[in-house]
Amino acid sequence: MDYSEAANRISRKFAQGGQTPDVKKIEGKLRRLVDEFGVQPSEAERSVISELSKEYNLPAPGSGGSSGAGGSGGGTQEKKIAEGVPGEWVTIEGKIVALSAPASPSIAQSGIIADESGAIRFVVWAKSNAPAMAEGSWYRIESAVVDEYKGVANLKVHSGTTIKEITEDRSLIPAPAPIRDLRPGIGSVRVKFVQEWEANHERMLQSGLLGDESGTIKFVIWKEPGKERLVPGAVYSIFYAQVDEFNGRLSLNLNAATILQEEGEIAVSGGESTFTGAIVHIAPGSGIIKRCPVEGCNRALSRQNYCPVHEIQPKFVYDLRIKGWLDDGEKTHNILIQRDVVEALTGISLAQAQEIAENNPLGMDEVFLQMRDAVLGRYITCHGREIDGRLLVNKCDKVAFASSDHTALLNRAGGAPS
Amino acid sequence: MSTNPHDMPRREGAFEREPARRVFAAELRECRYQFKDGEDEKSPTFVLLPSGERSNRIFIVGTLTEKTRQGEQNMFYRGRVVDPTGTFFVMAGSYQPEAMQQLAKIEPPQFVAVIGKPNLYQKPDGSWLVSVRVESITVVDMDTRDIWVLDAAKHTLDRVDAFAKEPTPDILKAKEQYPTIDPSLFRKIAYDALAQIKI
Repeated sequence: MDYSEAANRISRKFAQGGQTPDVKKIEGKLRRLVDEFGVQPSEAERSVISELSKEYNLPAPGSGGSSGAGGSGGGTQEKKIAEGVPGEWVTIEGKIVALSAPASPSIAQSGIIADESGAIRFVVWAKSNAPAMAEGSWYRIESAVVDEYKGVANLKVHSGTTIKEITEDRSLIPAPAPIRDLRPGIGSVRVKFVQEWEANHERMLQSGLLGDESGTIKFVIWKEPGKERLVPGAVYSIFYAQVDEFNGRLSLNLNAATILQEEGEIAVSGGESTFTGAIVHIAPGSGIIKRCPVEGCNRALSRQNYCPVHEIQPKFVYDLRIKGWLDDGEKTHNILIQRDVVEALTGISLAQAQEIAENNPLGMDEVFLQMRDAVLGRYITCHGREIDGRLLVNKCDKVAFASSDHTALLNRAGGAPS
Repeated sequence: MSTNPHDMPRREGAFEREPARRVFAAELRECRYQFKDGEDEKSPTFVLLPSGERSNRIFIVGTLTEKTRQGEQNMFYRGRVVDPTGTFFVMAGSYQPEAMQQLAKIEPPQFVAVIGKPNLYQKPDGSWLVSVRVESITVVDMDTRDIWVLDAAKHTLDRVDAFAKEPTPDILKAKEQYPTIDPSLFRKIAYDALAQIKI
């Protein structure tokens, strides 16, 4: 192995990124690995590169563009922002559409950079000594690295990255996407503020539900100087909001987003859905339940009339509900049926259920059993809003035998094989 | 690996319940292949239907014609549920106390809706038995039975049609495991089942 040749090659690779590694030291390390430890030359080279990458706070070159570049010019590819894949070195041109407070002293700047294809969060390491970028300006960022943080693609500006401001005037009009099409990362939407929720954290300024024609999504704004609350019922264009994912559910963090109130109205679908199938399971906690009477609480109480927040509540309020699974043979939907629909479906009113609960030896269990026997295994069509993977049923119809379906199926089964 | 982060599917963090397949007794009876999806102890077990679909759970509606109590210490109930094409063998033991109590209370004959998990057994004489471990069984009316026959016929025909088109891994597996079964047989079975419903 020609150690000095290899050392020069490695050194050139890092020099492209603005580093000045010691060629002699590299050569020494290679020699030591190969001569003393019997390491394969290719493996030794990989190991030294990886060590240096760590030293300069760069991700180890993997399958991405940089490895095997072998010193030939321009190891990274120029890409549109939307095309960046974690693990890749990229060169992009984009506009800084948001800057946010760095979360750690090792970060100089963080925010969102966008081009016409999309947007990505970026982080500039303090160690990189990169020039500060200004919100609203365009930059060409060469040899940055796309990686993944909490499942979301992220652009890392390290010491090997060069940043050039683009002075020519470029316009960028972000296109809002339907809520249904949002993915973790950055997204722009045009929405109506459907419902305000109580802030459940002291650092939270506001949270609630936003909706468009395709569905609804939860949002949150954290307390920060200059942040304003949204007005319930108003329509907004929201550019470059952070789309987070938790337990498979998406939510929008609007702190770094650009928010414009708009005229007009949006017919929010509200996640209105309809499913038809057979009820294949009635979950415990169905039937008659007791609820906490404290204003605004309404939580279901345990058997001992215990509310997780307000403790023992002897003056509880009775309610009916059915939690279960509706199954169409291909997919099973989690359903939650509210009181008036339960009454219509089971033929047991709240008053009757209360009578059974208070006088039958089995108490509330008897209501559960009677309701289970009345609905389990039956075909029903449920209408309602789907929130967090559960259908809140506000209307429900029993499926009737349709002789037209019967005839159509007879024809299909009797017809020639397709 | 996906080439574009925007093509990445939305990850399913939430629990997905296995759907209950609709299958006639005449098809379920033919099952001979059972497999586990994954190495985990808790991984679901599937019975492969000859029409090329895996089933961890089934939903059937038919007539409970017979039930028997068996065992002393480990008491369990067996039952026979009949649909227009044949018989399902159902059972509920002490590991399914709710289902056992439900089954114990029902006096045959009655129309019943059964949600349960199919299991394959080979008897000492070498013959196979597909038994359904009941999760839940309730008495229903004839309308529900008739709707189920339409439902089961529709899903059977869907599977038979899919079998003839683009093969999924499960369809390929079915072709390998059931080389002698022609799924178009189930089209005829579905037709006969539908024809038994009086209008």
